[in-house]
Amino acid sequence: MSLKPKRVNFNETWKELQETVKCVITLSNVPRSTWNDRFSDVYSLCVAYPEPLADRLYLETKQFLDNHVKNLLEKVRSNGKANLLKSYYQAWSEYSLGINYLHRLYLYLNQQHIKKQKLSEAEIVYGNLTPDTQEQMEIGELGFEIWKKNMIEPLKENLVNFLLEGIHEDRLGEGNPNTAEIIKGVIQSFVTVEEYKKKENLLLYQKIFETPFLQASGEYYKQEASRLLQVCDVSMYMERVTQRLKEETLRSQKFLHCSSFDKVKEKCEQHMIADHLQFLHGECKPMVQQERKGDLTYMYSLLRSVPQGIPLLINEMLEHIKQQGLQCVTSLKGENIYCQFVESMLTLHKKYKDMINDVFSGDQSFIGALDRACSSVINYRINPKVSSRSPEMLAKYCDFLLKKSAKGMSEAEIDDRLAQSITVFKYIDDKDVFQKFYSRMLAKRLIHQQSQSMDAEEAMINRLKEACGYEFTNKFQRMFNDITVSTDLNNKFSAYLKSETVDLGISFTIYVLQAGAWPLGQTSITPFAVPQELEKSVQMFEKFYHSHFNGRRLTWLHHLCQGELKLGYLKKPYQVTMQTFQMAILLLFEKTDSLNCKEIQDTLQLNTEQFNKHVTSLLESKLLHSSTQDVTPETILKLNLEYSNKRTKFRITAALQRETPQEVEQTLSAVDEDRKLYLQAAIVRIMKSRKMLKHNCLIQEVLSQSKGTFSPSISMIKKCIEALIDKQYIERTPNSADEYSYVA
Amino acid sequence: MKVTIKSWTGVATWRWVANDDNCGICRMAFDGCCPDCKLPGDDCPLVWGQCSHCFHIHCIMKWLNSQQVNHQCPMCRQDWKFKE
Repeated sequence: MSLKPKRVNFNETWKELQETVKCVITLSNVPRSTWNDRFSDVYSLCVAYPEPLADRLYLETKQFLDNHVKNLLEKVRSNGKANLLKSYYQAWSEYSLGINYLHRLYLYLNQQHIKKQKLSEAEIVYGNLTPDTQEQMEIGELGFEIWKKNMIEPLKENLVNFLLEGIHEDRLGEGNPNTAEIIKGVIQSFVTVEEYKKKENLLLYQKIFETPFLQASGEYYKQEASRLLQVCDVSMYMERVTQRLKEETLRSQKFLHCSSFDKVKEKCEQHMIADHLQFLHGECKPMVQQERKGDLTYMYSLLRSVPQGIPLLINEMLEHIKQQGLQCVTSLKGENIYCQFVESMLTLHKKYKDMINDVFSGDQSFIGALDRACSSVINYRINPKVSSRSPEMLAKYCDFLLKKSAKGMSEAEIDDRLAQSITVFKYIDDKDVFQKFYSRMLAKRLIHQQSQSMDAEEAMINRLKEACGYEFTNKFQRMFNDITVSTDLNNKFSAYLKSETVDLGISFTIYVLQAGAWPLGQTSITPFAVPQELEKSVQMFEKFYHSHFNGRRLTWLHHLCQGELKLGYLKKPYQVTMQTFQMAILLLFEKTDSLNCKEIQDTLQLNTEQFNKHVTSLLESKLLHSSTQDVTPETILKLNLEYSNKRTKFRITAALQRETPQEVEQTLSAVDEDRKLYLQAAIVRIMKSRKMLKHNCLIQEVLSQSKGTFSPSISMIKKCIEALIDKQYIERTPNSADEYSYVA
Repeated sequence: MKVTIKSWTGVATWRWVANDDNCGICRMAFDGCCPDCKLPGDDCPLVWGQCSHCFHIHCIMKWLNSQQVNHQCPMCRQDWKFKE
């Protein structure tokens, strides 16, 4: 056939076309050839000569569809009210499919004639033109528009009532599976008829169905909630509600358009949870206290969905953990209290962490509560004026693990425990106290060779570095390095001795330490005349050291040296490890069996305090006998020639290396001194940059700067400010009482 | 011999013997290290000039390298020579 425009008799052509249109819209059989002919008829009408007949065709088609839908409406109505949903759905299924085909039959009209006059998408979305009602629509859209006008409008109230009823039945579990499809189809039809619109295309659905539906659902769940509350206890209630919510979500998916899912959920939550929040909150406390995990899981998932639901539960959890922790901490007693402390803290932390992961799906705000609870337990002060002993206990725990004393544990186990102790470490406020204790204990372990393994030591230092930064472990690292460097030095020294062909007569090793890095109190330094047997070693080493390192001064710390002695005067030969001073005392007995104290002290030049301490330890070990109860200058000391010991190798240094209460005291006061310096430095730094600052601002800044290492008391900061005013670093400004200025 | 020493472990500390507490170039304590280093001690040693002034080795090297013409001690302006 030719595509050329030609004269067309409209009435004749339309008559034929109308027949086919009727067949298409009712889904009757249309042979392909007929379809093709009618398709070209539409074309011919649109391009007809002398005048295109497209507008007329459009009007006639519209008229036809109008009538068709009106007829359908009659038919639906005639099926009776009871069958309304079903017959509407049937009519709709047929019509919506038919109109789709029809749309394709009118392809040419749609594409060439109507599209040209339509507004573009941008014009609709951004322009504020009101769409012209007279505007021609594509046939598919026209069909839906007519359906909306002639079918939905007159039936909508009845339809919606039946829909709500159907859904209600489904909620009660009495729904007929066959009607589910119908209900969904009918609801979908409200969406489909407006789907072609580019703007507000859910308006119809929302207006005629969603709004009443949400209201009905709200009512239903309000009643359901109060019904459940009457028959159930809280666990059952939560279980039911969870169940209901789950069902309702499935139901939404079964019936509704996806835009409504969240709204329905919100409605349910509003009526079943938020409205009864007080009741649920009231149940939180006993639930948490008894740790009813199952109930808490439900409670969490319910409360999470409403605003203001969760904080109370978090708080209960925090209080509970804190309570448990404090109970645990305050009931500790016994010898190894530090082990109990750290291990019970770890157990507590693990228990609740696991619980949060299981029950509250690892919610960050619960983890935060756990952190706060642990931190307040670990930093708990029994007496508010005395700082917490936790840092010391943790340091002791690490010491215990790293020392050779930790017997019966495998290396992996020790390593694991050390790694876990970092968890406790992170919660400690007074990290500087821990640092002081740790460095003292580390020093002792390293110097007295009590470390289980250097690898473990290094690993622990690295862990602390990771947790608290480079600055924090700087001194630990330097101590550790000194020990490593010393090994090297000893090798070089023995090579040196070989090349000089010198024999020291004893096996000699040395640790050379950097003065600044080690927490070695100056208090115990005493004059000491080095015994002849050791003199050569000392001299040779000094000569060696000064020839290798320029500009360094060596100071011997004899109170930290130790040696191994072979005792040949007893029945069995013994090998005893002891400190240098004790060695020196015993060496004096070479020529005689008894000496008086004054003689010994004069020879060795030790100060009285140190001398007494070491003599006492020798007496306690029974290697010596004394003539008097107390050690006085006149006391005569005798070798115990009857001495015997089951072991032939032992040490008598242990008593001297133990941490004494004085040392703890000293450590704490050293921390206090450091804190004052730290605070003063911080104040000067702040004032230098700000020049002028109000008292309160200054305090705040100082607090925020020192947060990482310790939490200073306000009175301490005040004292430091006073001290700096005295030192004339800062001064009070003349016109304001609570302001300071920096003095350059 | 009644008592013989089998072995002995000595412990000693060392510090720098310098004519000042601070390095004249970086103003950091000699007990500490120069600003470019992290650990004091063997990694950041001191050196002495024949004029008896003393600096962190890193500091004086930086200074000498920055001088185009003659190398002088930054403290006393005498020619810088390392003390043997």
